[in-house]
Amino acid sequence: MSIFITENTRVLVQGITGKEGSFWTKHMIELGTQVVAGVTPGKEGQVVEELPVYHTVRRAVAENDVDAAMLFVPPRFTKDAVFEALDSGIKKIVTIADGIPLHEMLQIRDAAKSCDAMVIGGNTSGCISPGVAMMGMFPYWIERVYKKGRIGIMTRSGSLTNEVTAMVVRAGFGVSSLIGIGGDPVPGTRFAEMLPLYEADDETDALVIIGELGGTMEEEVADAMQTGIFSKPVAAFLGGRTAPKGKRMGHAGAIVTGGRGTVEGKIAALEAAGAVVAERPSMVGDLLKEKLQ
Amino acid sequence: MKLFEHQAKQAFRDAGIPTPRSVLAATVEEVKAAIAEIGFPCVLKSQVLTGGRGKAGLIKVVTTEADALAKAERLYSSEHNVKTLLVEEAVDISREIYVSVTADPVEATALILASADGGVEIEELAETNPEKIIREFVDITTGLQTYQAADIAYRLSSNPNEAKQIQKILMSLYKVFSQYDAELAEINPLFVTKSGKILAGDGKLVIDENSMHRQTTFERTRDYYDSDMEFEAAQEGIPYLQFDGDISLMCAGAGLTTTVYDLINYEGGTIANYLEFGGPNYRKAVRAMELCLRNDSKVILIVTFGTIARADVMAEGIVDAIRRLRPNRPIVACIRGTNEEEAVKTLKEAGLDPLYDTEEAVRKAVELCRTGA
Repeated sequence: MSIFITENTRVLVQGITGKEGSFWTKHMIELGTQVVAGVTPGKEGQVVEELPVYHTVRRAVAENDVDAAMLFVPPRFTKDAVFEALDSGIKKIVTIADGIPLHEMLQIRDAAKSCDAMVIGGNTSGCISPGVAMMGMFPYWIERVYKKGRIGIMTRSGSLTNEVTAMVVRAGFGVSSLIGIGGDPVPGTRFAEMLPLYEADDETDALVIIGELGGTMEEEVADAMQTGIFSKPVAAFLGGRTAPKGKRMGHAGAIVTGGRGTVEGKIAALEAAGAVVAERPSMVGDLLKEKLQ
Repeated sequence: MKLFEHQAKQAFRDAGIPTPRSVLAATVEEVKAAIAEIGFPCVLKSQVLTGGRGKAGLIKVVTTEADALAKAERLYSSEHNVKTLLVEEAVDISREIYVSVTADPVEATALILASADGGVEIEELAETNPEKIIREFVDITTGLQTYQAADIAYRLSSNPNEAKQIQKILMSLYKVFSQYDAELAEINPLFVTKSGKILAGDGKLVIDENSMHRQTTFERTRDYYDSDMEFEAAQEGIPYLQFDGDISLMCAGAGLTTTVYDLINYEGGTIANYLEFGGPNYRKAVRAMELCLRNDSKVILIVTFGTIARADVMAEGIVDAIRRLRPNRPIVACIRGTNEEEAVKTLKEAGLDPLYDTEEAVRKAVELCRTGA
């Protein structure tokens, strides 16, 4: 079984009638995702990709069995949309929104924790198990990236994930489940919190982590490896090795402050825990091969 | 957005946090008037956004008018782009405390950090004396409770008169953190004066960029940026950083652009500018290339591997930009992702030689800089 999303996960799409919502709903279904219904306030009665649209999540779950919610909702409405899904008892939520206010993201993560739910994102493409299902926006038809296989991928980035995953595939591997944690300083779910799922997944042989400067998520992975929570082989690529200190490079979460969050620190922690760290994207595949021999 | 000290202190005062008396001055004449109001001794504090102002000589204690005006003159004409000075009364300090409110991404709470040993960098203190740092997690929904502030205050001072003032300041600082959607609200140092008064000696307030649509108190002006180009790019919503090397980056995706930046450094090349035209900016190729061309760079390097930002649309944008701007330097393009076959066709028709491999593209750009082709 893949992790987080499988062919049996019944998905509700919030914001289904929008341009992105309807476009990616079509592709989610084409890949094999079980999308059961959509929500857009004011649009009940409409049909998108032969799916019923409801005003609210409560009205949608009253008539459909739902396991997960996929949010195509603008950043300033995301907190409300996540709370709405949690209120209806949905335990798996993915939000792609780029620009969720920091204090609201703290509230979202806090609420998810107290509901025992998992929110993936924001500022992410979502998650995909190639050949099975996806929640989010992935050009799964690009075969040199989204090839089915037995390597798990966790990432803080979008374009860089295409770059690195292409190198994993070039080395002869494929992807079991790819989870985009997102590029914000406060992601709904952290790298280390996904590890038990990958550990338990019998379709994942090894894990590739695509990280970058800033924060402590890579160090938390190293801790989980040290304490035995995660025991499968890990290869990592980290962006921002040569980034100037104090400057925000790209993602809001990608900044070194007061000596914390440096790539050197992350590499040292991961290597000490037994992971291999690639200097360049092109080396990830070969390092993975060595690690799996 | 990081605010200037005088703005942070205004926000603190509005919330009821006492600060030393001060007047903002933009010219030497204004400094003279400010001194007349504040009196001696006083401190001239350069209003710049970089840290370590004391070490950089940007904060001066002055005791006479002649000395003050001479020093003000020097600060205004220094290389640090000092536009204004905060003329502040010098207070009799008996000790310095540290207090801040920030976000804790793991616990999903606000986090108060405090230390009776203020005045130094908190990260430094965390390294050398971690036991001296007080940490208090604050529920982001219900906010800081009085008992929490009291507990911190009595750990910072055993003197009830002082502790009561600190407690009130903590409650106010949390209010500022909330009200301004702050990433960080920090007072370092928080002065304890010889007469037992507590005052904010410095002020740092960083507003979350994602909340700027509802934080309208402070306008984003040129003063917040190191260069004209960074300011212009920010107004367009294009992430841009100015450097002084040879290669202009025009890439898509934060992680990929940062990686290309690393790869150029590995290959011995240098970067003129960091620019992302991915995400919502993927139709802004013309504007992005215009910014690159204003740099004194030798090559423009375009690397993308987009999902939502479609490769064919980016390629069309680039060809359009070349047609309009007629760049006077070589362009190395490596555009992959959604509809990449179309993209390659478009680029070839425009006479470019598109590459598929990021590292090959980086090597080619560095090589072009070396040969000057």
